[in-house]
Amino acid sequence: MTTHRKLVPASPWVTLTATPADWDAAPAGLLTAMLHELLLIRSFEEQVLELAAAGLVHGPAHSSIGQEGGAVGSVLALTSADSVNGSHRGHHQFLAKALSHVAPDGLDLTSDVSDAVRAVLLRTLAEVCGLDRGYSHGRGGSMHLQWTDAGAMGTNAIVGGGVPQAAGFAWAHRQAGTDAVAVTYFGDGAINIGSTLETFNLAAAWRLPVCFFVENNGYAVSTAVEEATGEARLSARGPGFGIASWKVDGMDPLAVHLAMREAVAHMRAGHGPTLIEADTYRFFHQNGPFPGSAFGYRSKEEEARWRRRDPVDQVAGHVLRRGILTQEQVDVSRARAHRLMVEATDVLIEPLPGGKPGERRIRPSEWPDPAFVDVGVRGDLSELADARVLDRDTFTGQLADQRFIDAVAAVMARRMATDPRVLVMGEDVHRLNGGTNGATRGFQAEYPDRVLGTPICENAFTGLAGGIALDGRFRPVVEFMYADFMWVAADQLFNQIGKARHMYGGAGAVPLVLRSKVATGTGYGSQHSMDPAGIFATAPGWRIVAPTTPFDYVGLMNTALRCDDPVLVLEHVELYTSTGEGPVDDLDYCLPVGRAAIRRRGSQVTVIAYLSMVRHVLDAVEQLGTVDAEVIDLRWLDRASVDWDTIGESIRTTGTVLIVEQGAIGTSYGSWLADEIQRRYFDWLDQPVQRVTGGEASPSISKVLERAAFAQTEDVVARLSEIAEA
Amino acid sequence: MARLLVMPAVAANALEAVLSDWPLPVGKPFAAGDALATVETEKAVVDVPAEAPGVLLRTLVGIGDEVAVGAPIALLGDVDEVVADPDEVLARLGAAGSPDPGGPAPGSPARSADAPGLPGVRRFSSPLARRLAKEAGLSLADLVGSGPGGRIVRRDVERAREARAVGADAPAVVHADGVAATVPAVPARAVGHDAAEPGYADVPHTRMRRAIAERLGRSVREAPHFAVHGTARVESLLELRARLNGYGGPRVSVNDLVVLAAARAHARVPAMNVIWMTDAVRRYAHVDVAIAVSTDRGLVTPVLRGLDGMSISAVAVASADLVDRARSGRLREDELVGGTLTVTNLGPYGTEAFTAVINPPQSAILAVGAARKEAVVRDGELEVGTVMHVTLSVDHRPVDGAVAAEWMAAFLAILEEPVRILA
Repeated sequence: MTTHRKLVPASPWVTLTATPADWDAAPAGLLTAMLHELLLIRSFEEQVLELAAAGLVHGPAHSSIGQEGGAVGSVLALTSADSVNGSHRGHHQFLAKALSHVAPDGLDLTSDVSDAVRAVLLRTLAEVCGLDRGYSHGRGGSMHLQWTDAGAMGTNAIVGGGVPQAAGFAWAHRQAGTDAVAVTYFGDGAINIGSTLETFNLAAAWRLPVCFFVENNGYAVSTAVEEATGEARLSARGPGFGIASWKVDGMDPLAVHLAMREAVAHMRAGHGPTLIEADTYRFFHQNGPFPGSAFGYRSKEEEARWRRRDPVDQVAGHVLRRGILTQEQVDVSRARAHRLMVEATDVLIEPLPGGKPGERRIRPSEWPDPAFVDVGVRGDLSELADARVLDRDTFTGQLADQRFIDAVAAVMARRMATDPRVLVMGEDVHRLNGGTNGATRGFQAEYPDRVLGTPICENAFTGLAGGIALDGRFRPVVEFMYADFMWVAADQLFNQIGKARHMYGGAGAVPLVLRSKVATGTGYGSQHSMDPAGIFATAPGWRIVAPTTPFDYVGLMNTALRCDDPVLVLEHVELYTSTGEGPVDDLDYCLPVGRAAIRRRGSQVTVIAYLSMVRHVLDAVEQLGTVDAEVIDLRWLDRASVDWDTIGESIRTTGTVLIVEQGAIGTSYGSWLADEIQRRYFDWLDQPVQRVTGGEASPSISKVLERAAFAQTEDVVARLSEIAEA
Repeated sequence: MARLLVMPAVAANALEAVLSDWPLPVGKPFAAGDALATVETEKAVVDVPAEAPGVLLRTLVGIGDEVAVGAPIALLGDVDEVVADPDEVLARLGAAGSPDPGGPAPGSPARSADAPGLPGVRRFSSPLARRLAKEAGLSLADLVGSGPGGRIVRRDVERAREARAVGADAPAVVHADGVAATVPAVPARAVGHDAAEPGYADVPHTRMRRAIAERLGRSVREAPHFAVHGTARVESLLELRARLNGYGGPRVSVNDLVVLAAARAHARVPAMNVIWMTDAVRRYAHVDVAIAVSTDRGLVTPVLRGLDGMSISAVAVASADLVDRARSGRLREDELVGGTLTVTNLGPYGTEAFTAVINPPQSAILAVGAARKEAVVRDGELEVGTVMHVTLSVDHRPVDGAVAAEWMAAFLAILEEPVRILA
């Protein structure tokens, strides 16, 4: 006879309801602050809808009207030291954090507000309209609101895309020895996406002080939450991951506030992450000024039912009931909120000259300069100003032959020892005597808090590292066991980390190093053998280095770690076991950004290569013996850092270019380089830019098929022979 | 089946030609051999004949447009063919976008379909070779490409430069060839400052004017000219001509006799039947001689071929045909190339004697003056004779003075004993 015993999750899962006694006990200052933030955010959102209807907001304007209670109630339980980030529907989240930052003692609309409050309204509205005075100079707009001074780390247009970063903020708070916490706001639509679920697991495993705040408004655009999941009580996810979870009425700002206070206490006490599900409702459709019922996925009756529980009215009712404010004061506050928004609008908008009555336009002076379009894709490298930059020709220390992998481990050990900001993370980096290749040998024992062996979830741990980088106090070094895993982490690498600086205005640093192992030729097959350089080269924001010698590895890693941009450090397994010249005792120099190395002087053909193919090219030239090739080791591969001086000088000598890489042609690196070369040096070319690449398919497991799929010495020999005969 | 009509390769080395007329209206059926388009090259106006019957569905370029050789210029269909969507057809035939001057990769089937004969006409050269040639003042037309598909590459320019340096006497000159695309578009009308009182008129260059200027300028700059003069008594020649024309056959001109006499002299002095090339002097087995014909548009030089095997009446017929078609602009391109010598005759204008500029790549030009009565000394006695002054301008690169003198002596002897012309 089988027996059954009911199991209970290790973490609590509760609903919390605010009682009349709670309303009576709430401090007057809390309720007035709550009311005034709600009124002002409501006015802001009404103004945005009006501008959107007039065609003055470019792109979607996701209204938070109806949902303000969750954000306001929860933010009032935080301080400016705490971080938040949010979703595409994030005006209320951002404004609640920003207003609480500039009015720490509670916003008060019964009398005139401070310039700081006006500035928040104006800059936020300007950003929503895509204007220069916005926090990100209009680049971010409605969906990318960031003001890091206020702890508002950025709202996000990828559903769930900001969630892993919040775990990174939380890690940084804890590592810095503070009790600050991070809150990430997202909707019911994001509860089912991998980024979110992976981060639940990661945060719980590492007991990070992060709150997952789910604004469950019942609909992902028009798909009802009940259609999208078998457990529509979304806070039920928490206990499954070991996360303490609350379910609360999101239309009741006090209930949300009380739940958040409990969650914050839990996190500040070091008990790990929390999850709050606030049931709420957006009064309008996904975006724009029409109700959802106009699109047929819900009824007017349902909308009327929720509107009767408007959070603004609920808080106003209790404030009046308790005699904290008079009706007249509430009316004054409501009118002031409206007037503040009209004033902000008038700064940005003017009547259309010669237009019909009521027609308006953006004041021309408010637009950003179109020349600003690419400014700040990457930083200006001023952070390297005081670095000890040298190259092989100016290095005066002792050099000796050493194994490449030993240089990898040595320079990282040196940085871990000298710079407490540096941390390493990745799968198995803390075990196996230094990860799968020995690159982090001995780190775990020395720096257990900065060596993070991750669960298998590239997207979440990459995003977590991205959050640490955005926070800025620490410098994460992420290791990918295989380069192909970049596709698994693609959202975080390309949509988030690569774009963050530019998207949020061009000024914010994103200091992150990604060490990515290229394992072509090891028999790991179609999904573990790619060279990611070509893909990363298409992604603005990233810098790419490809060290080929121990000396270069040390200098390039040091530069990468000082750089305020995300830097991909490519490492080829073929090089790990190679031996080359490296520094004996100086592990502190930096190599210059954007300088290639000429590995062989020649006059007949310029061969451009990187990573393991540099050695194969040199071997090929020697084998052939008949072609006087100049061999350039690029070292820096991204569009901003390619050494055109060296390449150009060589091409003007040889008139012929061969770009050599190992991997498949589809994702090849050389395609963009060839394009750029033919335009820059057309009149210097004696034949088309030539290429050596692998085939179209990914390398297979079968040894002979694998060998046929990628390029090696003999492919270079063959192509050089053809070039010589051409 | 709808098909494209492409700009034909009517001129050696020409990268483009001007569509000068559409003789047929769109929609009108045509028979095989009907002229579909009229194309003007630097040297001739050529009708493009239909290969098969059909109908002109659409013209793709306008009158006066300069079009790359091989580029589509019209869409043709079969008679009675209904083409619902010409744009779709054009897109399918690959003519929707701008024509790709490089063409598809060698070996791809599209090449022969889209651009018949293109590789044989267009001279490929690498960007570097073009730049180096320009800097060195070398004409791509004079270079032989040794790269893939005959592409002129750096080493070809360098070899030519070295060869010229060995030659030493060639002056440093700067010009470019084969870069017609860089020539500014010709304005459609004369340009004046002020319609009221311009004081002058700028007549824009025609392509032919440009070609004459370019070719003869190049000749003067590159070919070191020297001249040998000769005077022949031509009573016998004129008498022979009168007798020939008395038989009622094709009318023989003095010039026909002079041309054939020159051909005979070439046969006697083969060292004159040559042209200069970068790496070699080319000697010809047969004798081809060009005749200079002035036309409304300028000078053209059609070539009489195989003169060494021709009778005087055949020469007369052939030259009359060439002159006639030259003046009506109906010469074929292949009739304008070749030969080692041009005969230019200003006798009809009464010119006594003159010197002409060699028409490259030929090595000589014979300037023929009028036959006129002069005082001549014969056997120590002064008498009146009918004489003709001739001047042979010679390219000193392939031909030395002694050879030219030998030729002139032979030529004069033939003129004075003209029956040898008929031999």
